[in-house]
Amino acid sequence: MSRPCGCGRAETIKRMEAIKFENVYFSYDEGEDEKGSFALSGVSLSVEEGEFVAVLGHNGSGKSTLARLTNGLLSPSSGKITVLGMDAGDPKKLFDIRKNVGIVFQNPDNQTVASIVEDDIAFGPENIGVPREEIGKRIDFALDAVGMSAYRNSSPARLSGGQKQRIAIAGVLALLPKIMILDESTAMLDPRGRKEVTDVVQRLNKERGITVLLITHFPEEAMLADRAIVMNRGEIVMQGKPSDILCREEELETFNLALPRPVALCRALRRGGIDIGDALTPEEVAGELLGVLPARGADIPDAGKDAPQAAETAAPVCGDGGQGSVCCRNLVHIYNPGSPFETPALLGVDIDVAAGEFFGIIGHTGSGKSTFVQYLDALLKLPTARKKYKKKKPKKGQPLPPAAVLKVDGFDLTDKTTDFRALRGKVGMVFQYPEYQLFAETVAADVAFGLKNFRDGLTEAETEEAVRAAIERVGLDYEEVKDRSPFELSGGQRRRVAIAGVIVTKPEILVLDEPAAGLDPLGKKEIMQLLHKIHEEWCKTVIIVSHDMDEISENCTRAAVFSDGKVVMEEAPAALFRRGEELAALGLDVPFTAKITECLARGGVHIRSDFTAADFVKRTLEYAGVGAESAAESAADNAGGQDNA
Amino acid sequence: MRDVTFGQYYPAQSPVHRCDPRTKILFLIVYIAAIFTAKNFYGLAACAAVFLFIALLSKVPFGSLLRSVRGVIFLLVFTAVLNLFFYSGETVLWQWKFIKITREGVFYTIFLASRLFLLVTGSAILTMTTTPVSLTDGLESLLYPLKLVRFPVHELALIMSIALRFIPILSDETGRIMNAQKARGADFETGGPIKRVKAVIPVLIPLLVSAFRRADELGDAMDARCYSGSKVRTKYKKLTFALRDLWAFLLGAALLGGVIALRICLPALI
Repeated sequence: MSRPCGCGRAETIKRMEAIKFENVYFSYDEGEDEKGSFALSGVSLSVEEGEFVAVLGHNGSGKSTLARLTNGLLSPSSGKITVLGMDAGDPKKLFDIRKNVGIVFQNPDNQTVASIVEDDIAFGPENIGVPREEIGKRIDFALDAVGMSAYRNSSPARLSGGQKQRIAIAGVLALLPKIMILDESTAMLDPRGRKEVTDVVQRLNKERGITVLLITHFPEEAMLADRAIVMNRGEIVMQGKPSDILCREEELETFNLALPRPVALCRALRRGGIDIGDALTPEEVAGELLGVLPARGADIPDAGKDAPQAAETAAPVCGDGGQGSVCCRNLVHIYNPGSPFETPALLGVDIDVAAGEFFGIIGHTGSGKSTFVQYLDALLKLPTARKKYKKKKPKKGQPLPPAAVLKVDGFDLTDKTTDFRALRGKVGMVFQYPEYQLFAETVAADVAFGLKNFRDGLTEAETEEAVRAAIERVGLDYEEVKDRSPFELSGGQRRRVAIAGVIVTKPEILVLDEPAAGLDPLGKKEIMQLLHKIHEEWCKTVIIVSHDMDEISENCTRAAVFSDGKVVMEEAPAALFRRGEELAALGLDVPFTAKITECLARGGVHIRSDFTAADFVKRTLEYAGVGAESAAESAADNAGGQDNA
Repeated sequence: MRDVTFGQYYPAQSPVHRCDPRTKILFLIVYIAAIFTAKNFYGLAACAAVFLFIALLSKVPFGSLLRSVRGVIFLLVFTAVLNLFFYSGETVLWQWKFIKITREGVFYTIFLASRLFLLVTGSAILTMTTTPVSLTDGLESLLYPLKLVRFPVHELALIMSIALRFIPILSDETGRIMNAQKARGADFETGGPIKRVKAVIPVLIPLLVSAFRRADELGDAMDARCYSGSKVRTKYKKLTFALRDLWAFLLGAALLGGVIALRICLPALI
């Protein structure tokens, strides 16, 4: 993936330095001299023109500060920054620098100023006084470069996250910059959106020679770069070829970074006794494995092995819909019916979740999954469940649509006499980015909010006890955080507080819409571990909506795939991800272990696993016939990265 | 996925939709002037005829136009009742103690009510056939001469445009936060006024925090794209008048002229 090294390159033209930092210090609170308060302390860095550099680092490592300093949004406390030969400290050069250094930020919604795509892209050129005809040309160019020409007159509000970020990139490109900085621009996107953005960025770098500084916390993205830089506490701590940097496990760990999943898998296999090198992509892992594993004819499905999986796969019967279960039939939902903005969202959804499951919901934005999830907590109600519902007489000649069935935790959601408040106490709902819903003055008060709403007549002591238990359950120190403002906490802590505020009523079913969105790989892993603990101890059933197939395969007992308002597949991940082609047809990915499995199968090596990293390692070791069972187990325990199911 | 449109825009293909926003704004001003110039039913009838013509041309359903009156229905009824009972006329139709209904009062009430009705529904045609964005563009362009007296026309237009851009985002966010708090047992639908105001706090605070955060990030993004509000700024979109705009101006002139003529030639009602 990375470019070939520069050894063969003719060095006839001396490459100019695009960005140069010389011993730069920066502090957000002016006048503080303590070393600890510096966001950047003594950074020296040089980026050549046309280079693609990835900057990795944990939250608060100073990587965003680096971006802002480069484009003059901030100016250094000491040290010198030179951008394309211009001194960034010179106020006269500020606009020349900003013209040449484009930044794309994290949140796709907060970067557009206009309600029409072309107007937004025109914003930059307008600011620097580009003549009108020229602006038109630049819009053409920028939209073409990001592959969004068809959306010239669209409203950004109607685009997907990935498309919005591409528009943001186009908005920056219209200024014709030589340097492009992406400040965690992919953090809030789903995998498809992330790929859209990284593809565009790679193209800009290769075809147009734009210098790229890609700030990210996904190691997979850093692999696309010529060079990777790791930052920690305001300093550059590692620097080198991504393929080299990303394999240094111990060092990465010290800096709170995760190994890329494929590398972690290779390590686990090696510990189990298979002698392979590190590989960064599923294809490379498969390549390594094919080098050492013997091909053994066709795959003979082992009936004994598959039987339990088959039993798991069979959907439970839509029965009484007892505690902790969900049963849904023929659920239809149309937004703004009868208006020009009519949009169908659900077109007859059938789904069953048994009590005790860790259930996954997969699907693209707009596939109806968010709408469905709202029904589970009666945030959307069926017509028959609304107060004003009057039975309509069926029109003659038109067949009646099949009646919807929706039973959640034993409540009948088609009935308007159902106690919806009680239902909401039993079905906890954690929305995307739940930390943005905190409002109270203290953490304890915020967590207690739901409890007080649902349970009348709790004594102070009982409330405090429940709040303490919930806060401790999400892994925070009650005494330490209870009196603090939720707005003072770090992002990860706030998310935990938000989850505590939902589980405080001990719901039977906990529904989470993308609980790990926007977190770095370690944060994701921690949240998923937390959910498993909650699943074991507090909530009978957990339902997560996720875009991350690895997350689904590692954690879920079964998963449903939404597409165009319907559930098109509903199976255990082990069976689901064997249908890679069907998923690809829906534009969905498979876990990286499934990709390896497929590559291996093409090479004649057939390994059957349930696609969790641990099981994949175990089965591969069995296949290779190395090591005793215990070795396999210990290797599986250490498979790193993501296995904790 | 939720309803991302706002305002009252009714998407359709019609000559009224395609008209230059400036024409529509100016036409509305002329139309309103005509309504207030009319002092008798004939003048008002002329306005009504023009209103009907444009309404039909715009393809906006009458139902939607009528619905726009809902906002002022209280005002309409209130003034109508006051005028009906307290207008001092000569031909008394009905009397009870000091309250009386006169022939003149009835006419006057009908006159005022239709005036208000035409005013509101006429303005609704503008907002229903013009997207907020082009409305802003039109206003900016019309206000442009005010720059000479240092009125910050461009800044105002930018503020409006950003506000329009963020209305769907913030309304979506409001929905999300409300849902989240509802899921935590918040009740926005029942209880007295004090309870309801209190119930809004868990929605309002996160919304404000988020709005500030967004403003902050947007400011950075604008800075990074060289925004300085300086004089060198150019404008990509230029509004251009077409033939239909000429027709519109002619219609407006005819309406105003006609109403003035009717006012002079025929007896005034008020």
